[in-house]
Amino acid sequence: MDFTLTDEQQMVRDTARALLQKECPPALVRAHADDPAAAAPLWGHLREWVVLGDGPTTDLALFAEECGAVVAPGPYFATAALFLPVLRAAGLTEEADAVAAGEATGTVALAGADGRWCTDPVTADPVRTFVPEADGVDRVALVLPGPELLVVDRAQLDITPVATLDTSRRVATLPVPPGARGVSLPAEALAAAIERATVVLAAELVGTARWLVEASVAYGRERIQFDRPIGSFQAVQHQLVDMALDLERATAAVYYAAMALDAGDPDRHRAAAVAKAAAGTAARHAAKSGMQIHAGIGYTWEHDLHLYLRRAYASDDLLGDVTFHHDRLADLLLG
Amino acid sequence: MRLTFDAADEAFRADLRAFLDEHCPPEARRGKDFVAADEEGVPDWARAWQATLFDHGWMVPSFPPELGGRNCTPLQTLLYLEELAAQGVVRSVHFGGYAIVGPSLLEFGNEAQRALAAPSIRGDIVWCVGMSEPDAGSDLANLSTRAVADGETFVVNGQKVWTSYAPFADKCFCYVRTGTDPEAPKHKGISVLIIDMDTPGIEVRPLRHITGAVEFAEVFFSDVVVPADRLVGELDNGWRITMGSLAHERGGLWVEGVAGSQRALDGLVALARRKGLDADPTVRRQLAAAYEKVASLRALGYKGFASFAQGSSAPEHSYMKLATSELRKELFDLGLDLLGPYGSVTAPELAEEGGRWWNGFFISLAATIGGGTSEIQRNTVATRVLGLPRG
Repeated sequence: MDFTLTDEQQMVRDTARALLQKECPPALVRAHADDPAAAAPLWGHLREWVVLGDGPTTDLALFAEECGAVVAPGPYFATAALFLPVLRAAGLTEEADAVAAGEATGTVALAGADGRWCTDPVTADPVRTFVPEADGVDRVALVLPGPELLVVDRAQLDITPVATLDTSRRVATLPVPPGARGVSLPAEALAAAIERATVVLAAELVGTARWLVEASVAYGRERIQFDRPIGSFQAVQHQLVDMALDLERATAAVYYAAMALDAGDPDRHRAAAVAKAAAGTAARHAAKSGMQIHAGIGYTWEHDLHLYLRRAYASDDLLGDVTFHHDRLADLLLG
Repeated sequence: MRLTFDAADEAFRADLRAFLDEHCPPEARRGKDFVAADEEGVPDWARAWQATLFDHGWMVPSFPPELGGRNCTPLQTLLYLEELAAQGVVRSVHFGGYAIVGPSLLEFGNEAQRALAAPSIRGDIVWCVGMSEPDAGSDLANLSTRAVADGETFVVNGQKVWTSYAPFADKCFCYVRTGTDPEAPKHKGISVLIIDMDTPGIEVRPLRHITGAVEFAEVFFSDVVVPADRLVGELDNGWRITMGSLAHERGGLWVEGVAGSQRALDGLVALARRKGLDADPTVRRQLAAAYEKVASLRALGYKGFASFAQGSSAPEHSYMKLATSELRKELFDLGLDLLGPYGSVTAPELAEEGGRWWNGFFISLAATIGGGTSEIQRNTVATRVLGLPRG
């Protein structure tokens, strides 16, 4: 396998990094926590990139990584990584084309009462939980047993936002309308779309972990105690190395999984579970050790560290946490 | 980014497989977990096998044919190392000659010394490398074995320890202190000498591993006289030779670490099935977590290779020795755990898989010490990769 980025992939990464660093400063993330409308200008810049959801997983993952590195709020992930691919899976071409063109936002409602994003079988619970950005998007795609897909306007649903640790990604609970039926959704295509979204979310987590590692290394260099930078102490250095190692292997696992999905490789199911578990591990590790290294200043509301810590833990939970994906891996390995 | 290889690279792999099918002796087909050169020296099969590899251009394939290779590309070297690891094939039972001394002589040696490179890589000359000393372990630059020059010769006095293959080596690639300025930094004033192991004044005392195997030794030098032309490179400037291991294969050094972890993991899965533990939720999660680490580290090795092949440094690879050696320790520890009360049994008739798990565990304990301890690895990554200030 070859991890060398093509010119086009390098361009996606560079463009995403420059765009998101500029248009998604911490001030916007904080303003969004108080009023979700504050993320609207960011969406104005990101809507033209929703089309990546139709392309190779590698490219979307590169873009998502940069979103994670600025803990970008708003409907980009829900629209590009979940809604658009699920519309395609159901063959809803007309609506999918409009979404790819950046004309509408949407999300997918799949997890039942237990909060697990399980595609086989799709839950018959009368409720959908952990629906990303459900209270802000234009359209919601309800995955129903069968599987079937029912796409409705947000206003037609009784949506209840649910507060989580993470103020940068909104989630909501909504009831499934009684007697709801949708169009047929091939089970395999649904599973593939969710697996792909899982890898893209893992890429986001890697971006979040990257910020945490870089910020902690930078702080280790500049914070002086006992007349020297704390990053010169072995006890601090070794924590940083272990964080960075988990980040490096998660990054590699995510891009391997993206390549395996794009190639339809038989290893892709294991690779996706490895990617999400490794990314969750890396992000949680970086959040905890990053807090320890920043110490007092990191524990303050003013410092941005907690924005990343919150995103790390909530994104680990979404689409299956470390334990969920270890269980899935065990099923694939041991039957 | 892509998953597949070009036709030329697949053809290279096919040639290698055909060669191994035809020539590889059964004794060479074993996981490295079990390999320890025995006290008697290099067995006949190992001598013949290394020479066969060399003569067919498969010993160090990135080298030209006269040095046991076929001028292959860096990616092909990676495929080569991967295939050997996948089949559990060992090239040699002593890595000093082909991996360290041969390449170092080619880079730093004079003409007569460079002529030793080919027989060293072929295994005709068996080398030990004299580095560690009682007071120079992780702090290698602290070495104190002294060589005093008197024009025609050096006279060497001192002691080496943990010297692999010393009990049966023909020659020693020996790091000695030649500098006389006590104010100079420690790593200045070190030189490298080629010392014949049958020179009077050398005493080798084999050291037994905790596994029971004998592979390394203490080597004592008492007024050992070494001709002046055995100096490799410049006087007092030998420190840079410590970096002279097989640069051609540096992009693939991680392969065996990952392969060894994969073998241990495969063994754990088989063990769990045999013991009926594959339905135990705790064991399932332990195995899955292990798989996650092995798979992600393999991906990291490849990712680093992409940087390496482009000629840039590969920070990813700085993590690999640390990560894979620590992982193997965890995996063998888990193996002992899965065996329950039988984990500690060594009686041959009762020990699981001929003692694979306790033996592999013991060997894994050495892997986080030898070749730079895990602590030194972390220090190196901290300063060279993360750019943190030195402590």
